[in-house]
Amino acid sequence: MSNQITINADIAKGTINRNIYGHFSEHLGRCIYEGFWVGEDSVIPNTKGIRNDVVEALKKLNIPVLRWPGGCFADEYHWKDGIGPSEERKRMINTHWGGVVENNHFGTHEFLLLCEQLGCEPYISGNVGSGTVQEMSEWVEYMTFDGVSPMAELREKNGREKPWKLKYFGVGNENWGCGGNMRPEYYADLYRRYQTYVRNYGDNEIYRIACGPNVDDYKWMEVLMREAAGKMDGISLHYYTVPKDWQDKGAATGFPEDEWALTLRKALWMEELITKHSAIMDQYDPEKRVGLIVDEWGTWFNTEPGTNPGFLYQQNSIRDALVAGLTLHIFHDHCDRVQMANIAQIVNVLQSVILTEGEKMLLTPTYHIFDMFKVHQDAELLDTHTTSARYEHGDELLPQISVSASKAADGKIHISLCNLDHSAEADVSIALRGLTQGLKTIKGTVLSGAAIDSHNTFEQPNAVEPAAFTSFTWDGAQVSAKLPAMSVTVLELIEQ
Amino acid sequence: MKPGMDRSARNCKGCDDSYTVTEAQIQRILAAPMFQSSERCVDDEVYAARLRECGSCPKLMSGTTCIVCGCIVQISAKYKEKSCPNPNDVRWRSVASH
Ligand code: SF4
Repeated sequence: MSNQITINADIAKGTINRNIYGHFSEHLGRCIYEGFWVGEDSVIPNTKGIRNDVVEALKKLNIPVLRWPGGCFADEYHWKDGIGPSEERKRMINTHWGGVVENNHFGTHEFLLLCEQLGCEPYISGNVGSGTVQEMSEWVEYMTFDGVSPMAELREKNGREKPWKLKYFGVGNENWGCGGNMRPEYYADLYRRYQTYVRNYGDNEIYRIACGPNVDDYKWMEVLMREAAGKMDGISLHYYTVPKDWQDKGAATGFPEDEWALTLRKALWMEELITKHSAIMDQYDPEKRVGLIVDEWGTWFNTEPGTNPGFLYQQNSIRDALVAGLTLHIFHDHCDRVQMANIAQIVNVLQSVILTEGEKMLLTPTYHIFDMFKVHQDAELLDTHTTSARYEHGDELLPQISVSASKAADGKIHISLCNLDHSAEADVSIALRGLTQGLKTIKGTVLSGAAIDSHNTFEQPNAVEPAAFTSFTWDGAQVSAKLPAMSVTVLELIEQ
Repeated sequence: MKPGMDRSARNCKGCDDSYTVTEAQIQRILAAPMFQSSERCVDDEVYAARLRECGSCPKLMSGTTCIVCGCIVQISAKYKEKSCPNPNDVRWRSVASH
């Protein structure tokens, strides 16, 4: 059976917020230190301590937003430890992650400088778990107050006269777990209290994000929306794709065929989670003013053998690329509610787009998906109907393909297509309706792998990389394509 | 979370001690056949010299983990093709030239 797709180019279903393509960075393993921060005296080329190769590669992705400093680390982080002359900064043990000595060399100024270098919006997670209201309030004052105030003076003393623009601020992180083990009723009250003092100074307007549920904790969503919906702009959701279970998650490479389909099925669960959480949100916020912020998502496998398990360092294969493609499609479909998402974590941790080792750096298959899909950022989601063939493997029954289409401001239409089947090509027919003019050209890019765990290594950094896609024909407004097994393809259509 | 609790119901991802790498775990990995292969592994002298360098290196955490690459050095030092990952202070280079 082939796959039939109909795209109504004249029916827009909403705007794909570019923030759906956001990233997450935590003081964990080698994400911040080694991944971004090498220090000014490093032989690794850097600008003010931040490595140039990583920044250059990330700039190409048009990263819209970066979340920091955690994660669990956020609720242990006291921002005043990370300002001032670096040699005088407090050293602490990062008890959440690996017991590493945290020397606080990467703090507020360095993070905001990194965001300036990347050209992205900062998204800061404040400390509710072990911090105080005063501390959170002063952090916002330190970063955004324009005028004479104690925190603005301290900022100036530390070398930054002008305030920064800061839009996104999370009031706590995983407060149902590492962020204080709270009950939703208790956190909802704390949220109301803390957010009161997250003030807007001058024309800086903060988008307040409440800590939302872990995976399918619908009660948490219900309580938070009931008690605090009017006091928040966004609420978070965390869900990781773990193929097996938490004791033995499954390997990132060298996994059996069964784990391919199992992983994709678990990734597709994001659809149900967002649908159900959105339904709860609709009851309290039918106008969809509050955004669902999926600020932690991605694959979670066993760590690479021979590395410290607390560093959460895993390889990234073509399977991760499929998980990224499918998940981004789900976010597109829910772009009326999902206003931001942050894949975990940007460098060297979990489903990263970049891996480093000393001065070496490689781009992962997931990087290439974010690069190929960046054309969807801020584009209009187009009405799309898909009748997919079945992809059956062992006990798993999944749709063979996943599709998303959007129209950019310059009129170009982009169609991204995932073929979930690990062993069979996918024949697809795409009917385009509602074009203003006929098609002039179609170009394609495809990412696939020779094996189910094809990945890039420091020895072979380009084993998995995008290639030109030419297996298609078109006639008028009808396109026929043959997608390789386990592949992600993006077509660019230009009208006359 | 408490040991034995269902991990799917666990409170958060960071509250176990999985980063504490025990000697027994390292020995179990080193007992694998590939670490007996002279094709893939350095000889005992080079191995000991590499570990001596790591032992006095400020990048070594808790006696086991190199914070530059995240590797357990007792394992990574076995591999012939591995090199010290710190470009600012490549310590194994001097060892290899011995
Ligand atoms: S930087 Fe080199 S010498 Fe230092 S711990 Fe790592 S591998 Fe060993």
